[in-house]
Amino acid sequence: MTGPAGQTPRTRPRASHLDLAQRILELVREKGMQAGAHLPEQVLASACKVSRTPVRAALDLLVEQGLAVHEASSGYRLAPGFAPGSALTGPLPDAAEAELARRILRDRAARRLDETVTVAELIRRYGAPRSVVGKAVSRLAEDGLLTRAPGQSWVFAPLPDAPESQADSFEFRLLLEPEALGAPGFRLDPDRAAALRRAMVAFLAEPDDRLDPRGFQALDTEFHGLIARGAANRFVADALGQHLRLRELPGATARANVVRLRQAMQEHLGILDQMEAGRLDVAADLLRVHLRLSRSQRPQAANRGAPPLFGLTFRGGGDG
Amino acid sequence: MAEAPVIAFFPEASFGAALNCVGIARALQARGARPVFICHPGFTGIFADYGFQEYHLPATGAPQPADYWQDFIRRHLPHFNLAPADQIETYVAPTWEAIVDTAIQAEAPLAALLTRLRPDAVVLDNVVMFPAIARAGCPWVRVVSCAETEVPDDAVPPYCSGLASADAEGHAAFRARYLGAVGPVQDRYNRFRAGAGLPALAPGAFLEPSPHLNLLLAPSILRHRRARPLDRDRFVFLEGAVRREGPYDLPDFPKGEGPLVYVSFGSLGAMDIALMDRMIAAFARVPARFLVNVGAFRDAYRAVPDNVHLEGWFPQPSVVAMADLFIHHGGNNSFCEALYHGVPSLILPYCWDGHDNAVRAVETGTGYRLDRASWTGAGLTETILAALADSAMRDRLAANAARMQAESGVDLAAECILRVAGRREKAAG
Repeated sequence: MTGPAGQTPRTRPRASHLDLAQRILELVREKGMQAGAHLPEQVLASACKVSRTPVRAALDLLVEQGLAVHEASSGYRLAPGFAPGSALTGPLPDAAEAELARRILRDRAARRLDETVTVAELIRRYGAPRSVVGKAVSRLAEDGLLTRAPGQSWVFAPLPDAPESQADSFEFRLLLEPEALGAPGFRLDPDRAAALRRAMVAFLAEPDDRLDPRGFQALDTEFHGLIARGAANRFVADALGQHLRLRELPGATARANVVRLRQAMQEHLGILDQMEAGRLDVAADLLRVHLRLSRSQRPQAANRGAPPLFGLTFRGGGDG
Repeated sequence: MAEAPVIAFFPEASFGAALNCVGIARALQARGARPVFICHPGFTGIFADYGFQEYHLPATGAPQPADYWQDFIRRHLPHFNLAPADQIETYVAPTWEAIVDTAIQAEAPLAALLTRLRPDAVVLDNVVMFPAIARAGCPWVRVVSCAETEVPDDAVPPYCSGLASADAEGHAAFRARYLGAVGPVQDRYNRFRAGAGLPALAPGAFLEPSPHLNLLLAPSILRHRRARPLDRDRFVFLEGAVRREGPYDLPDFPKGEGPLVYVSFGSLGAMDIALMDRMIAAFARVPARFLVNVGAFRDAYRAVPDNVHLEGWFPQPSVVAMADLFIHHGGNNSFCEALYHGVPSLILPYCWDGHDNAVRAVETGTGYRLDRASWTGAGLTETILAALADSAMRDRLAANAARMQAESGVDLAAECILRVAGRREKAAG
């Protein structure tokens, strides 16, 4: 049993996640849920009156404790050995620098942190020990998201969350992904492909009001990762893999409505059909179409009597 | 098997009208019709994202300069701080000039497109008539997606006036000033109509009621008592036309688990960064969580408070459904969404029918209003807290929301449109 994204276990969780994990266990007992029962994130988030992010962290804690399991295709479930008396026990995971790094990135994406920060500022803001902040900063620096500036400060790399950088991202992927797929030597991982197909079909079976945009994003990353990993040219594989990690950052992907999410998932399945059938040239063509359709063409602004403003040709934050 | 009726939607180039039409079009699609969208130059991509076929009218004239919108905002921001009557000459009349230009430019390509499409009905959600629609050889439906004031009546405050219902003296003065200011552009529009074979409209009017069907997006809780009631065969009031979106995943706020407040002033309002910045600073002192729509301008903000989350786009109906308060500009689409989900509104109007909705919200006990030009941080905080604590308003809105949700506006609209489209088939058959 592993965490949903193969996360390394933490040794000390956030107190709020612990509390929430306890509340989820209480709910499970109140409802008389049995081993193997589905633990729907949205339902738990509503019942506990919190967003899904902390619910997911609390469920991960239950996974780490062996009380729940997570599968990409079906989400969280009570572990097969779960009993009504099961409780959180043993050494609890560590509130590692990974969690702090995540919060730092979240707050930068939300423009709560400026482009330039110091370790002292981060210590004050997060109330974390210098050693933990130092490790979190090092981790972000290793990922190329923070670079040391003169003095004691660190500068964030531009996050790919503006319409212009999202447009650049699509251009980049249009150049490389279909080529990676169509070039000789592409290798499809058949087991991953089969598991992904099951997860995508399960996603499409959900009604509109339960179609989780983050679930879509996880499957989208997995689908395009399948292509990146299969590339015969290792430089292409590396470049696509690195770009995919960038797209997982907060705010890096444009939100889409539920209709487009379904369409995009159907397009993924159509491409996968051709990949599994060995028609990689057709798959590459369909992938080009998919990427072009996924690129937002919506105007950024429109008003009665005035021409619409295209986001992709406009450079925001101009001279005002 | 009979072919699916083709319903051609032609919404104006604004998100409110466009998204109302998306809601109705989805209800039509569920009934086997084939809705398609005719798009103003540049106003594209929105309908395709919802899976509908788009037809683009070609751009005519010189391309817009790259700094058009910066210039637009620079020119008009001061006007948005004026009283509605003082906006007549500065904003409303120039906007009508631009709208009439749009109608004239669209005429030939629209006529050609309608000839090719041969729709069973055209749905026009706009504030101006396009003669090509009257000549398309099929029934046409007018959607009034602005406030009810768009359809004039002696007992209803004038359109865009922001006047109280009882202020008869104010109504007369506003009407006189309005007619004086828009007279020249209306004369120009009537000459265009005459050239296209349509009769002139009454002073101040740019769009006639459809002889076939008119749909008004004015929920019953907001409706005015009219001096001359509208013909119920041709005028159908809808309880809004709120579309459904997928779920919204609440972000992780570093601070606060308090009430949820959603803030959006539309795509134009998002460009007023200075106002939004002041407002965000005020939110920091309110014990609540704020979701703020900042359009493409997230990079313009810094030191955003821990109880505020900025995004460039929200699945608005889903977010409104989760909110305890919706702060907006009085756009009719936003106001209807708030009502549909039983959420109180705090309206800071800046132009057009936003003024009418702001006043009507207060008159009907469905929301609060603040003045865009003179609000203070303390006043904003006080009003937000009052709105969040107003249990009488919440109860009233909950009862109304139940009624609106039981009488789905999009479904009623779709049924009515199909009946009208069927008349063409019978006539042809």
